[in-house]
Amino acid sequence: MDTGGHEYAFYLGCIAPNRYPGAESSAVKTSKKLGINLVDLKGASCCPAPGAFGSIDLNVWYAMAARNLVLAEQMNMDIALICNGCYKSIWEVNHKLKHNAKLRDGVNTVLKEIDMQYKGTINVYHLAELYYDPEIAGIPAIEDSVKTPLDAKIAVHYGCHLMKPRKDREFKFESQSKTEQPMWIDELVQALGAEPVQYRNKMQCCGAGGGVRGYDIVHSLDITNEKLINMREAGADAITEVCPFCQLQFDRGQIEIQEKFGVSYNIPVLHYCELLGLAQGMSPQELALDLHGISCEPFLQKVL
Amino acid sequence: MAAAKKTTKKEAAPKAAKVAKEAPAQAAEKAPQASSQQHTVSAKDARIGVFICHCGTNIAGSMDIEAVQNYAKSLKEVAYVDNYQYMCSTPGQKKIDDAIKDHKLTGIVVAACTPRLHEPTFRTATKEGGLNPFRFEMANIRDQNSWVHMHDREGSTEKAKDAVRIAVAKAALLEDLFPKSVPVEKTAMVVGAGVAGMQAALDLAAAGIKTYLIEKSPTIGGRMSQLDKTFPTLDCSQCILTPKMVDVGRSPNIELMTYSDVESVEGYIGNFDVTIRKKARGVLTPKEAEARGIVGGGCNGCGDCDAVCPVVKPNPFELGMKPRKAIYIYHPQVVPLIYTIDFESCVKCGLCVTACGPEKRAIDLESQDELIKVKVGTAILATGYDIFPIENKEEWGYKRYDNVITSLEFERLICASGPTGGHLIRPSDGETPKKIAFILCAGSRDNTGIGKPYCSRFCCMYSLKHAHQITEKIPGAQAYIFYMDIRSFGKMYEEFYYRIQDEGTKFIRGRVSNIQEDPKTKNLYVMADDTLLDRPMKLEADLVVLAAAIQPSADTNRTRKLFGVSCSMDGWLLEAHPKLNPCGTTTAGVFLAGVCQGPKDIPDTVASAEGAASAASIPIHMGEVELEPYFAMCIEEKCAGCGMCVNLCPYSALSLVEKDGRKVMQVTEAKCKGCGTCGGFCPGGAIWMQHFATPQIVAQIDAFLLGGEQ
Repeated sequence: MDTGGHEYAFYLGCIAPNRYPGAESSAVKTSKKLGINLVDLKGASCCPAPGAFGSIDLNVWYAMAARNLVLAEQMNMDIALICNGCYKSIWEVNHKLKHNAKLRDGVNTVLKEIDMQYKGTINVYHLAELYYDPEIAGIPAIEDSVKTPLDAKIAVHYGCHLMKPRKDREFKFESQSKTEQPMWIDELVQALGAEPVQYRNKMQCCGAGGGVRGYDIVHSLDITNEKLINMREAGADAITEVCPFCQLQFDRGQIEIQEKFGVSYNIPVLHYCELLGLAQGMSPQELALDLHGISCEPFLQKVL
Repeated sequence: MAAAKKTTKKEAAPKAAKVAKEAPAQAAEKAPQASSQQHTVSAKDARIGVFICHCGTNIAGSMDIEAVQNYAKSLKEVAYVDNYQYMCSTPGQKKIDDAIKDHKLTGIVVAACTPRLHEPTFRTATKEGGLNPFRFEMANIRDQNSWVHMHDREGSTEKAKDAVRIAVAKAALLEDLFPKSVPVEKTAMVVGAGVAGMQAALDLAAAGIKTYLIEKSPTIGGRMSQLDKTFPTLDCSQCILTPKMVDVGRSPNIELMTYSDVESVEGYIGNFDVTIRKKARGVLTPKEAEARGIVGGGCNGCGDCDAVCPVVKPNPFELGMKPRKAIYIYHPQVVPLIYTIDFESCVKCGLCVTACGPEKRAIDLESQDELIKVKVGTAILATGYDIFPIENKEEWGYKRYDNVITSLEFERLICASGPTGGHLIRPSDGETPKKIAFILCAGSRDNTGIGKPYCSRFCCMYSLKHAHQITEKIPGAQAYIFYMDIRSFGKMYEEFYYRIQDEGTKFIRGRVSNIQEDPKTKNLYVMADDTLLDRPMKLEADLVVLAAAIQPSADTNRTRKLFGVSCSMDGWLLEAHPKLNPCGTTTAGVFLAGVCQGPKDIPDTVASAEGAASAASIPIHMGEVELEPYFAMCIEEKCAGCGMCVNLCPYSALSLVEKDGRKVMQVTEAKCKGCGTCGGFCPGGAIWMQHFATPQIVAQIDAFLLGGEQ
């Protein structure tokens, strides 16, 4: 398939295919319109989740992530992915293995048992950074692809693992190294004709990561609740993110907050790819928006 | 490791050996060229004394001194070997003195620390013994050996043997050298007229030395003139500084050049030729007016021009919190009290010219930059500091949140002569803040790579003072100080700290991770970890004051390069020795005063300035200085007069002259720094680098590669 030459092995992760199939389908469909071809990365496992695995046994984390990397190396393709947790695991392990021979040898000893060898021949990208990069897609290309400008206020949630720790991230552009007040995803949102709203404590965690959701749901929801208060205060019609786990926390989390704290917000939560899909003229069904916990209907009525 | 070294030796040996054979021949050829008093020794007659220093346990603790001594004894040029606990001590130096006399030594090697530290010491000892002081060579077996190989006794012993062998090889070929004396110009220059530069200039002037004081802004006074009160005495900064500024202005020995930059520097200690760019000021001083024949004219600081100027710009002295006109003075106490036109914003409407009137005729809208050349004997750099751009620490929201300000802005806001007449206000709404959070180490002691790793040294103290000032000025106000440790190191500082504690300021030990602004009230939520109570905290404050780190002033790097001064990794100018020569630099005749060398509070700055002035006055009072005789010499019969070296010389020390009907190169010895660029390049081998001559260096290389097995 000729798509202009940008081909990537598409690493799905777990939450997108299992909970938000719209995030997966919108990634494949919107990227195609921007000249990016996402090819299935067959046989991939969990990334594995950086908080859950990384806090218990780093060696398992390295080895499992390395196996996923080797699958892409065998395809001779760079990896593109759509989840911040996956980004932390796959990007960071790739980076560590490339720069640490001892670690690489250790991982390869384990991989040998399944006849695999990590070579360090590919790079890993978050699809959002490929969308932002004018050499791959870029803001003007996204603007050109928009059929239905989204006239709405959108609160952007960046998510922790995407940008931090700063010293362990190597983004291409200066604007992407501003970890405290980043604006580059806001720029991507603006390209859809929407208004990215600024809200208090924008860089706060969604509440899910680091195993907090699994360990202490009330504490985790407390954090989410604070973010939702701040987003509502700024008048957000919808929340967008680039991480299905953050998406889950904001989306399912609102239902749980309603149950546990008796507060309701009803702010729809869309992965950036879903938002882009809408702007590119895809139907809500095509984007599986009906499978979200919080109804997207009022938002859809406003923008479509 | 050892095997690899052997291979290198074998490969390199034939070539090195060949060069070595030529070496004595070259030395012999060179002899007639050298001054007739010099007696050249060949390695054959050399009788070298080797002295190995223990440096307490610094060296002796990491290597086998006896083994090194026995090895040294085995070298054929070595006539005498000894060791001692501290070679730099009086008995240590005496050993050198005695051995030269008792054993008819021709050269001395001391294996000890670095030439930077003790070369002058041992040269003196060599001289005391009756040898030419340049017959001394040092082997560094401490800084480059025992300190780095502390846990490898065998390895460091072997390395010390190498170092001794190499030093002996050179010592055997050293010649007598005679330093040149040059007269010293009886004037000095101070660059930067903050409190350091002013103090240094006043001291030099008081010692009878004519001093050029160069300041880039239109007035002297520097950072200290922006401060309200000084800790711990709480006396008003302007009140103690203004008299000094006035003294500078009227000292007959100080030639004050404000609104001027150093453009270029040439020459060497005793004889610096400095070009000053006097920036177009657009306003004549009474003196300049007189020179143009306008008697009784020139600027008298009346401000009539200011009143009519239609262009409004932010005043940098007030950190942009107060306006100024295109024709301006920073504040009423400026020295000199002469207006300045900002030609970048001036529209040349001429209203000021009319307002100034036909008597004074002080304004010249067509004025141009002037280049002025002066000759000085010594120079002091006092280029000061700037505030680190604290907006780079994004988590605190400076420049994003209205009510987050820096400490320097606080100084202006609390100062009676500042933009608010001393009424501290919140920038967002002009209200008086009641809950004020001070964040220390803002960008200092920061290892994230964004801020500065060092301590800025005076922020703790001025923040304590700030807390005191709000307690004193605003009834019911509460100060919160977020700190890592309070560094109250100076005289009466700790007592001041207790006083502020007693006054009710709350101290929270914890770094602030994040500040959030309430979009409606513009209040700030300060998030930190209270590490004494071991719990996270969130404080709602009306105003946040960041005690931002400091960094070398913007022009420091350019200025230091002009004067050939190095800087450390963090950009502060490098002193000759951090403890024993803090005002000197490695460039003879150039000294450092104040914060440009590293963060200092006012007392330390003034002390450093007085030190620099004293150091800079010594060569001037001596009248002449000795230059190390490391200059290049031309072996005229070999020189083809090609002139390649003339173009290569970075110091313009070489020229071609006619001699016996042909062109040969000539060295201006006082200008030559002995860098060796010409000597290394000369295709005919016609340039002899004194003290680093080709045979000497080749002998060292041979000694290393052949391991003394020639």
